[in-house]
Amino acid sequence: MQQRVPTPVQGSKQQPPDGPAGEQTADAPTKGARRWSRPDLIQPQILFTWLPLVIATALWVYSLPHIDYRHMDDWGLLDQLPAAFYLSLAVLTGGFVVSLRRAGTAPWWPGLYSVALLFALKAPTAILYNSVRYPWSSKHDAVVNHLLANQELRPGVPLSGNMAAYDQWPGFFTLNAGLVRAFGVDTAASYLNWASLFYGVVLIPVLVLIYRTFAEDWRLVWTGVWIFEVANWVGQDYFSPQGMALILDLAVLAVVFRHFVRPGAAGELRSRANLDPAAASIPPPTTGRQRAVCIAILAPLIAAINFTHQLTPVMLCVALFALNLTRRYRNPGLLVVTAVIMLIWDVTMGRPLFVETLASLKESVGNLLNNSRAGYAGELTGPGPVLQGRADVVMVLVIAGLAAVAVVLRRKLVKSALPLLLVSIAPVPLFAVNDYGGEMLFRVYLFGLPGAAFFAAAALVPAAAGQGKGRIRPVVRRRVAAVALPLVLVLLVAGFIPAYYGKERMYYTPPAETAMVTKVLDNAPKGSMILAVTGSFPQALHRYDQLEHWYVAEQEEPQNAIMLRDPVGYLEPQLPKDGRPVYFVLTRTQDFYTAGEGLLPAGGFAELKAKLEASPKFRVIDGNAYGTVLQYVAPRPG
Amino acid sequence: MTLSQTHVRVTVALSGWLALAATALPGASPARWIPVLLFVTLGPGFALLYPQPGTLRPGARLEALALVAPLSLSFGALMSTCLFLVHGFSATAFLISLAAFSTVACAFPGLPLPAATRGAVERTKRAKPGAGR
Repeated sequence: MQQRVPTPVQGSKQQPPDGPAGEQTADAPTKGARRWSRPDLIQPQILFTWLPLVIATALWVYSLPHIDYRHMDDWGLLDQLPAAFYLSLAVLTGGFVVSLRRAGTAPWWPGLYSVALLFALKAPTAILYNSVRYPWSSKHDAVVNHLLANQELRPGVPLSGNMAAYDQWPGFFTLNAGLVRAFGVDTAASYLNWASLFYGVVLIPVLVLIYRTFAEDWRLVWTGVWIFEVANWVGQDYFSPQGMALILDLAVLAVVFRHFVRPGAAGELRSRANLDPAAASIPPPTTGRQRAVCIAILAPLIAAINFTHQLTPVMLCVALFALNLTRRYRNPGLLVVTAVIMLIWDVTMGRPLFVETLASLKESVGNLLNNSRAGYAGELTGPGPVLQGRADVVMVLVIAGLAAVAVVLRRKLVKSALPLLLVSIAPVPLFAVNDYGGEMLFRVYLFGLPGAAFFAAAALVPAAAGQGKGRIRPVVRRRVAAVALPLVLVLLVAGFIPAYYGKERMYYTPPAETAMVTKVLDNAPKGSMILAVTGSFPQALHRYDQLEHWYVAEQEEPQNAIMLRDPVGYLEPQLPKDGRPVYFVLTRTQDFYTAGEGLLPAGGFAELKAKLEASPKFRVIDGNAYGTVLQYVAPRPG
Repeated sequence: MTLSQTHVRVTVALSGWLALAATALPGASPARWIPVLLFVTLGPGFALLYPQPGTLRPGARLEALALVAPLSLSFGALMSTCLFLVHGFSATAFLISLAAFSTVACAFPGLPLPAATRGAVERTKRAKPGAGR
C-alpha cells in the first residue's frame, strides 16, 4: 500500500490499476486511515509544521498597521514594509519547506502555506488601501459603470482610445455589472482591490490539478504552486478581464491534459519504469466519442474566454496547436472548434478591433524588437522603479534558468510532462506577430509561467531516495536540494517584493486626487477633450463614452522631448477648433508614472506644468496638493 | 440516491434563490454580498459537477473542486453578456437565470468527465511498444 508513508514518492515499477497513483493515495484512504486520532501537536515533526504558520501570521498581522502607504517615496512600498513583514515571509517560507517533508501524507499543509503566502504577499494593499490600487483598475471600473448606465452593448460605436474594445469583449464587465447590482454597492471600486486574492484562490486548485496530472509527488506540485505565486509579479491578476480569462484558459488546458489522451499514443510512457519517480502515470486514453462529449463540456468555458478577452483565445489556440504536435494530444477537432468559436466572435462582436488589428499586422509582423518591448520603453527612473525593473529581469532569468536545469537533468519527467512544456513555450512566437500595445512581453510571460514554475520546481525538488539515474549520486543530489530548495525559495520571495512593490507609488491613487479628477470629468460638457500627460491616473476614463481623451506623453520618447520645449506650441495645432471645451488634468500619480517609467526626463512633468500654467492659452480652474486642472482658452474666431 | 446526495442537490438548488433573496436586503451588507458572491462563484459549477457517482477514478474529486469556480464564472459571464445583448439586464434577471440554470442542473447527476469514469478505453490493454511523446 502506498499511502501513509513518510516518503512522498514511491516510484512503483508497476502501472497502477487506476491511473495516477498519487491521486489514489490522496483520495482513497483506507479504513484504518479513517480512524482519526488526535495528533501530538508538540511532536517535533508536527510542531515545526504548524508553528511557523502561527508565528508568520502573528508577525504579518502585527506588521500591517505599520505599513505607511500614504507616505511612499522613491522606493515605493519597499521601505514602508516593516521588518516584521519581511520576517513573516521568511518564517512562512521556512514552514513551507518543513511542511514539504510531510507532503506525501499531509499535502494540505504545504497547500495551506501556499494560500497563506498568497495572502501575505497580496492582501496588505487590499486590506489597507483607502482607494483603488492601479490607476488602470479604475479604467475597468469605468467600463462597468458605462455598461450599467447604457444597459446595452455597443460594439460598433467608435470610442476615443479604442475603448469600444470593452463592448466587443464584455464578458468580464457584464459579469461585474451583475455583481455590482447584486452586491448593492455603488461601483466595482468597492471590491476591486481584492481581485488578485480572489483570482489567486480560484487559480490554486486549477494549478494543482494541472501539476497533479504530470506529477505524483506532492512536493513538486506545491513547490510549483509556490514558485508560480512568487514569480507572478507581472501584475496581471488585478481587476481585469485577462486575470479571469487566464483562469478559464488554464481550466480548459487542465481538462485537455486529463481527458484528451489518444488511445495507444502514450506508448512506452504507460510503464512506470519509463517515468521519472516523481511523475504521474499518463492519464487514461479516451475514445473519439468521449472526447467529442468533452468538447461539448468545454464549449461554455471556451465561449466565456472569447466573451471575455481578445488575446486569451489566441493564446489558447496556440497552446492547442502546440499540443497537436504531439501524438498523445493530437486532437484537431478541439483545435478547430476553439478556433471557430474565436473566429465567430471576432467577426461578429469583435469585428471593428479584429479588422483593425488584421490591418496593422502588416506593420507589426516580424518586428520582434518592437513587439517584445514593454510599453513605450522609456528608461526607468528612481530607485524603486529601477530596482523593480532589475528584479523583474532577475526573476525571469532565475525561473527560466531553473526550468532549463530541469529540462536538462530530468529528461524522463520532461518526456511525460512534455505537453506542459509545449504549452508554456507556445506563446513565445507571438512576439513575431504583434506588440499588443506594449503588453505582449508581460502576457507571454504570464501564459508561460504555469509550466515554467512546474519545471523550476522540478529542478529544486529531488527525485525520491534511490530513484533516478544520472552522473550525480542521489545522496549528493538530495544534499544539494536540501540547501538549494529553501535558499532559492527565500530568494524568490525576497525578489517578489521589489518586483511587485517597487513602483507602488505609481499604483496607489490618493482619494483626494480621485475626487478632484471625478469632479472635473463630471462637470465637463459632453464632447469635451481631456488632456493628460499619461492615462495612468485615477478615474482617467470616467465617462469615457462622452469625452475624448489625449494622453500627450504616451508616444515615442523623442517626440516628448520636442513637446517639452514648447508644450503649448506642440499641442495647440491638434486641439479641437469647434469650440468644445478642452481640459488639461495634471495629477501627482501622472508625475510619478511619467518620471518612473521614463516617459519624461527628471523634472519634465514639473517643467510641463509650469509652462502650461504660465501660458495665456491655459487657465487654472482647479487644484490641490494632488493635482491641477487647466482649461484651454481657445482663440476667438476671426 | 443517498441522502447526502439529495442534500447536496437541494442545497445547491436553493443557494441561487437564497442569493436572489439576499439582494432584497438594503445596502451592501455582508449578509447580502457574501451569499451572492458564493453562489455566482461556485453555484452553477457545483450544480453541474456534483453529486459525483462513487465509482469515479481517484482524482476526480480534485478535478471537480478545481473546475467548480471556472465553470461558474464562465456561466456568469455568458449569462450576463446574453442579458445585455437582449437588452434584458438587471441584477434580478442575472441571478434568476443562474439560479434557474443551477436548479435544473441539480436534477441531473454530476458531469463525469470521460477519463474520470471507469469507461476510459484501453485501461486493461497492454501498451504498444514504441515512442509516444
